[in-house]
Parts: sequence; structure tokens; C-alpha cells
Amino acid sequence: MGRRAALAAAATAVTLVLASCSGGGGNDDGGDSTEGGGGSDPDATLRLALAQDVETLLPMDSNVNDNISVLDVVYDGLVRYDPETTEPYNYVAESVESDDNTVWTIKIKPDLTFQNGEPVDAEAFARAWNYAAYGPNAMANNYFFERIAGYEEMQGETDDEGNVTVEPAAEELSGLEVVDPQTLEVTLTGPFAGFGTMLGYTGFYPIAQECLDDIEACAVKPIGNGPFQVDEWDQGVSLTASRWDDYTLDESPAYGAIEWTEYAGTENWPDFQAGNLDFAVPPPAEMVAAQNDPDLQERFVEGPGAALTYLAFPLYKDGPWTDVEFRKAISLAIDRQGIIDALLPGERVPADSWVVPDGVPGGEAGTCQWCEFDPDAAKAALEKAGGWPEGETLTIHLGQDETEQALFKAIGDSIQENLGIPYELDPTPDYFDRRGARDFSGPFRANWFPDYPLNENYLAPVYASGDVKNGNVNFGYYSEDFEAAIKAGDESATLEEAVTHYQEAEAVLAEDFPTVPVVFSVNSYYYSENVSNVVLDPFSGEPKLRLLEVSNAM
Amino acid sequence: MGRYIFRRSLLGVATLLLVMFVLHLLTTFAIQLNGNPALAFFGERVPTAAQLAAVETRFGLDDPCYDQTGNPCLGPFAERLGAYAQGDFGTNLRGREVTDIVATAAPNTLKLFLVVTIVWFLLGMGLGTVAARWRGRSADHGIRLTSVLIDAFPIFVLLLVYRYVFAVPLNQWATETFGAESLPALWFRPSFDDDHPWATLLVPGILLGLAGSAAFIRLVRASQLESYTGDHVRTARSRGLTERHVVVHHVVRNSAVPVVTAVGLTFTEALAGAVITEGMMNIYGMGGVLWEAVRGTDVALVLGVVTILAAVTVAVMLVVDIAYAALDPRIRYA
Repeated sequence: MGRRAALAAAATAVTLVLASCSGGGGNDDGGDSTEGGGGSDPDATLRLALAQDVETLLPMDSNVNDNISVLDVVYDGLVRYDPETTEPYNYVAESVESDDNTVWTIKIKPDLTFQNGEPVDAEAFARAWNYAAYGPNAMANNYFFERIAGYEEMQGETDDEGNVTVEPAAEELSGLEVVDPQTLEVTLTGPFAGFGTMLGYTGFYPIAQECLDDIEACAVKPIGNGPFQVDEWDQGVSLTASRWDDYTLDESPAYGAIEWTEYAGTENWPDFQAGNLDFAVPPPAEMVAAQNDPDLQERFVEGPGAALTYLAFPLYKDGPWTDVEFRKAISLAIDRQGIIDALLPGERVPADSWVVPDGVPGGEAGTCQWCEFDPDAAKAALEKAGGWPEGETLTIHLGQDETEQALFKAIGDSIQENLGIPYELDPTPDYFDRRGARDFSGPFRANWFPDYPLNENYLAPVYASGDVKNGNVNFGYYSEDFEAAIKAGDESATLEEAVTHYQEAEAVLAEDFPTVPVVFSVNSYYYSENVSNVVLDPFSGEPKLRLLEVSNAM
Repeated sequence: MGRYIFRRSLLGVATLLLVMFVLHLLTTFAIQLNGNPALAFFGERVPTAAQLAAVETRFGLDDPCYDQTGNPCLGPFAERLGAYAQGDFGTNLRGREVTDIVATAAPNTLKLFLVVTIVWFLLGMGLGTVAARWRGRSADHGIRLTSVLIDAFPIFVLLLVYRYVFAVPLNQWATETFGAESLPALWFRPSFDDDHPWATLLVPGILLGLAGSAAFIRLVRASQLESYTGDHVRTARSRGLTERHVVVHHVVRNSAVPVVTAVGLTFTEALAGAVITEGMMNIYGMGGVLWEAVRGTDVALVLGVVTILAAVTVAVMLVVDIAYAALDPRIRYA
């Protein structure tokens, strides 16, 4: 306790020093960066932290927050997302249109080039997508192309042991057709209204022929078409990018360079305090000190996160959980807010829906009517379900992660206290293996981070399977109404209409209650006095690098 | 001598092979028991069999033996040895050359070790000599108490307190007084900076050296106390040499021999300390690389790094053995 108090005091003292020194600096050049308008210095350098386990900058292979946020300034996608609503708008694309949601015509703006001078045309997209979709390339974003016709033929076949028995029959997606240099026609395996929304994702960026010719070189030194180009990547240490002067589109950052320092862990708070980083999140021990610092609070930004943590049930196995009343009882017995306040204040918010509210189109709060904490209603529901079998212990399965174990211990305690059900946690290193093999004998933790900003992505990939008999692999859930609502959404004429149908699918979940939403993540950052106009992307949770204004006042 | 070197080299290679085989077995069993690292590639998603197979191939884990618990996977091991023999240390799971990783990480760790060794030597020889010279006096008691205190502070406590309490204000002060790019400002940077490796490694190195110095202080003290009562010292004194000459030439110099040996032996221990130091100070070094590789069951990287480390160790040991013989006429190898 004493040490923590001392640390807090020291941290406060430090930030006071910081405040006084940079306050003086601000006066010298009349720098009004905090007021926004035109505060950016075209030569300024933005200094960010990057996780050390980033291994590639190949768009087709980048699927973690860190390389996605680097590539967001190095590449331009067909569409980009509105920072407030996350709705897509055309960027490299002139238009994205479809009459039947199955055949999509993408017109590409003329005269765009890669940083090596090659044209950004329909062929540039087709070659990237074909490479990603070809199974043996084992790209992280391979599965995004499942919806495009011809995907199946590009995957090998395997026997039960997982050995490849049949090599893929095709090397290109039959559903991709380069009509002319500026027109790409995409045929899907079935109608999907959200296809246009997917196109802004990293996995759909174009690549240059030079990149395809030497994929390994391109993975560490990308040839982008965005406003910044990678100067040097000293893997494991640092990554620098600077403005590409020949960039022709509008959304270019108003500063000169970005310098990412790689960190093995998340221990970069002291570097932020020392003025070496422009964005940071304090470690739990420093959280309170930061929250109590009025100066730091002025440079704090917070937004909803898109990741949902929920409790799922092995509906494929007999047990009390096959009764919806039992699942309700569990949900009503969890004191979400109390647990967050005690364990992770400010880092999670209680979830009362299956789709993040406001984070993606169609997300709405309060769709889960049984996500409130109500011990009496929980007891009543348990009674209705026939109670918990005497002498049995409820096993909650989860992966091995300290924070999550603490969270689920608190959830277990909540259940035990309010329903009298004894429980045990089973943190397993084989979590994914066992989940896939349906090897769980009790409820289990699950987590979902959406791939593209659309409510459909929280629903169909997680709950739909089309398998009436067995249900989906992970939970054994199947609902005809749910699948019908998803299908109606996929076939809708407009995105708005589709979103409404997907909301109906969520309503089916609210009735069937196959899973219990627990918490949503929260994104927050402290930022230095060098930066202003800080907007967090509601979807990725990262600062919008193209909107930032940076001045090297300090 | 020639035959000795040949025999030692053969022994060294055998040791190396044994180390590699044991490691291979451990990592193989880790994969078989803990689940395939290829699955982690997919995160929360359930891959199709074909997708999983493709990633397994990419990760070099497509041999069916990795799915059979208890199978020692001799085939992949033999393949790996063949590649190593040709100087090909392979790539990590995501395709980065192991030699490239080591080439980036090793210099940082070596720099850190150099600072640590100098600190050990200075503190050990300095304080140990003073304690032995004034045995039983207050200086001796003070130094012994200090060495106990040092033992009581593990390296992570030292680093934690340094980073979160001292580094930021010291860095601020130095920046304001001497400028942001001045040496003092760099010394107190809360993290390693690749552009200024020596300056930013100094303080972490001193702290890591300090944390391990207690054993050296006691070793030097004990060894010198023995010398003080030794025959050669009595002889030197009886020849009428000054006390200063006796202490410097016959006590301190003699006590350096066990310290040199101990530095060698403690080196491996220092690697463990380096994992913590590198992790906390964000130094891209061998300890951190190995740590992450083990966590991610990155077989090729673990084996590659350890093999390179073991090869260096075996080679150094061989050189030291031969050097002993060259330096000390009493040692003869047959």
C-alpha cells in the first residue's frame, strides 16, 4: 500500500513538471494545438508504440490491431469508414454497386498509383485477393474471401488426420473478373448486402505486381498506395514511415512522419510520461494516479470497444443449461457492473446486447432483457428450470489469461453467491482445440471481435451454421428464425434494410438466449500535448491517424 | 595438446547435439500436449481443416507426428540437423530468418552483459577488498550488511522502482538542464533506445550488475582473507615488502582468479536476469526473444536461438580450457 501511494505521488509530481514545462513551450510559438484548427506542423513526427509480435505488413496477412493500424496510413482501401458512424463511404472506389447483392460491380477511380508507380487498378485488387484466397498461401485473411465464388476450389482437401489429400484445383477466384482496368466484377456464392462494408478491411487492400513478385520483401517493406510510405522496419525494434509526396487523394495526415517503437509488453507508460511517446495507456497500478491528475485528464480520450466477452453453453451436451430458464438464471445472477468496478474499473462496460451499441451500424443497447443483475429473478428462473443437481459442480472453461481468469472467478462467485451453485474454473491451454472438439462439460468463456463494422458480423459467423441437426460447432445452437432473418438481411436491397433484418436476428438470440453477453471492451488513451484532434475509431478503438494534428512543441 | 583439442571438440559437439535433442523433445511434447500453435493463428475463429493444414505447413508443423502425443518426431529433427549443418537456421513461425533475429538481438544482450560484468568486477573487487583489508571493523560490517541488502532486492523490484519512481523525474531534469539529446537525458530514459544503445543500456546494466554483485563481494572477501593468512603473503611480509605492495600484488591479484571463474559460471544466471531486465526496459535482446519464442511454442526459433547460444558457450569453454593450459604452467593436458 505504501509503495503504491509513493508511486502515485511521484507520478503526480512528474506530470506537474511536464505540464509546467510544456505550458511554457506552448506560449513561445503561440501554439494553439489544443484548440484544433490548423495546429499541425507538416514536418512533425508522431511517436507511437507498437506491439513487438507484429510479424508482417502484408495486407493479406495482417489481422491484428497493430499491423492494421500501420497499414491504415500505408494503404488505401476501396472504401473507408466514417469515424463517427463507422458506415462505409467510397474512397479508392468510384462506386460499389449491385442489383442482386450477388454480382457486385466495383468502379475504381482513375490515375491512382502505388508508391512504386504501378497503377492501382482492378488487376491490383484481383491479384491481392487471389493470393489471399489461395489456401496453401495460409494467409491470415484467407477466410474473408469465402463469400466469393470459386473460393472452395482454391482450398485443398484434407483427411481426418489433417493431412492434405487433394491439392487445390484453382489458383484464381472464378468470381473475380477484371472487366477493364477500372472495373472489377465480383460474383459471390450467394447474396450478401454487407459485401460493400467488408471492402474497407485491411485484407481487401490492393497490392502491386512488384509486391507479388517478392512477397517476403513486401511483407517487411510494403509498397502501398496510401499517404505514408514505410521507410524502414527494424523488426522487433522500430518502424518509421513518412509522407509520400505524390499522394493524390484527400485524406492525408497533416504531419510529416510516424515513428513506431516496438514494445514486448505494454510497459510504455514511463516513456509517455518522459515525453517519448504521444499515446499511452497506464498499467493498472498507475491508473488511479492518472485519473486523479487534472492535467492528464484533459488529454484523455475514451470510446466504446467492439469486443464482446460472453458466456456460452455446451448446448450439444445434456445438462441443466439446455433449459433457457437456467441460462437466464445464470445471466441474471451476474453482477456485471459490480465486478467491473471491483476488478477493471474503466476498462470494461457491462454488456446488455449481442452487438456493440453505437460501434457498428445496427448495434443497439438493451436488446438483452435478462442482462440486468437481479438475484431474486435469477433464483426464480433457476427454480423454474428445476434447480441445480445436488452435489454437482459447475465447471466454467476458459483459456489461460490472468485478467480473464480474475473476471470469470468473479462471475463464478456471483453465480455461487446468488444461486448457490458451486463452481470451479478450468483454465485450459487447449481452449480452442477443446472448443472445436466439443469437449466442454460446462459453460465457457468466449470472445468476439468483429472483422468489419456491421451488426451481421456479430451474428452470422458466430451463430449461423445451416446445420439443423447438430447446430453450430462451438455451442450446438440452431434456430430457423435466426437463419431466416440473416438470409433476409443478406438479400436486402439496401444496407439500411439489411441492418434491420440483422437486428431481427439479434432479437431471435434475445429470445433463445443461447449465450450470455457479459462485458464489452473499452478503448481509452492518454495523449501528449503534441497532438490534438484525437478521434478514436469506434470500431478498432485506435486513434484515427489521418485526422490527428501533430506539432513538435516540446 | 592436439589430441586434447580434438577430444574436447568432439565432446563439445556431442554436448551440443544432446542439448538440441532434449530441447527438440521438450518443444515437441509442448506442441503435442498444449495444442498446435497453428490454431492460435486463427484466434477465436474455427478454421476449416484445409485452412489449418495450410497454416501447419507454413509453420513447418505439418508432420503428422506433432499430433501424436509421445511421438519423439525424429524425422523433423533429422531434417533440422541437416539444415543446420548447411548453416540454415530456418525461420520463426511467421517466416523471419532466425539468424536475422539473433543478429538484431545478440548485440544488445552482449552490451548489457559487458556493463554487468564491469559492475560485478568493480563492486566485487572494490568492496570485497576493503572488507577483507579491514576485517571485523565497521567498514567490513557495513559492506557485509550491504551485500545482504542487495540480495534482498530482486532485479525486478530495483527496475520497477527505478522506472516508475526515479527515471521519469531524472529524465525530465536532465532534459531541461542539458537538452533532450544530451547524455544525461539518455541515461535516464525509461526505456531502451536503439539509436543510443550504450547510453540507454548503462543504468539497466548497472542495476542488473548491482543485483548480482553480492555473491562477488563475499567471494572476493573470503578469497582475500585466505590469502592474508597464506604462506606466500607471510613470506612477502617477512621479506620486508611494504603492506601496500603485499596487498596489491599478492592478495588482490591472487583473489581475481576465482572471481574470473565465477563470472563465467554466473553468466548463464545473468541470462535469466536479462530476460526480466530486457522485458522491463524494452531491450530487444536474446532473453526477450527466447522468452517470447517459448511462450508461442515457436519450435524453430527456440531451437535455433538455443543452438546458437549453446554453440557459442561450448566454443568459449573450449577456448578457456586451452587458455588455462597456456597460462598456467602447472596445468598439463594429456
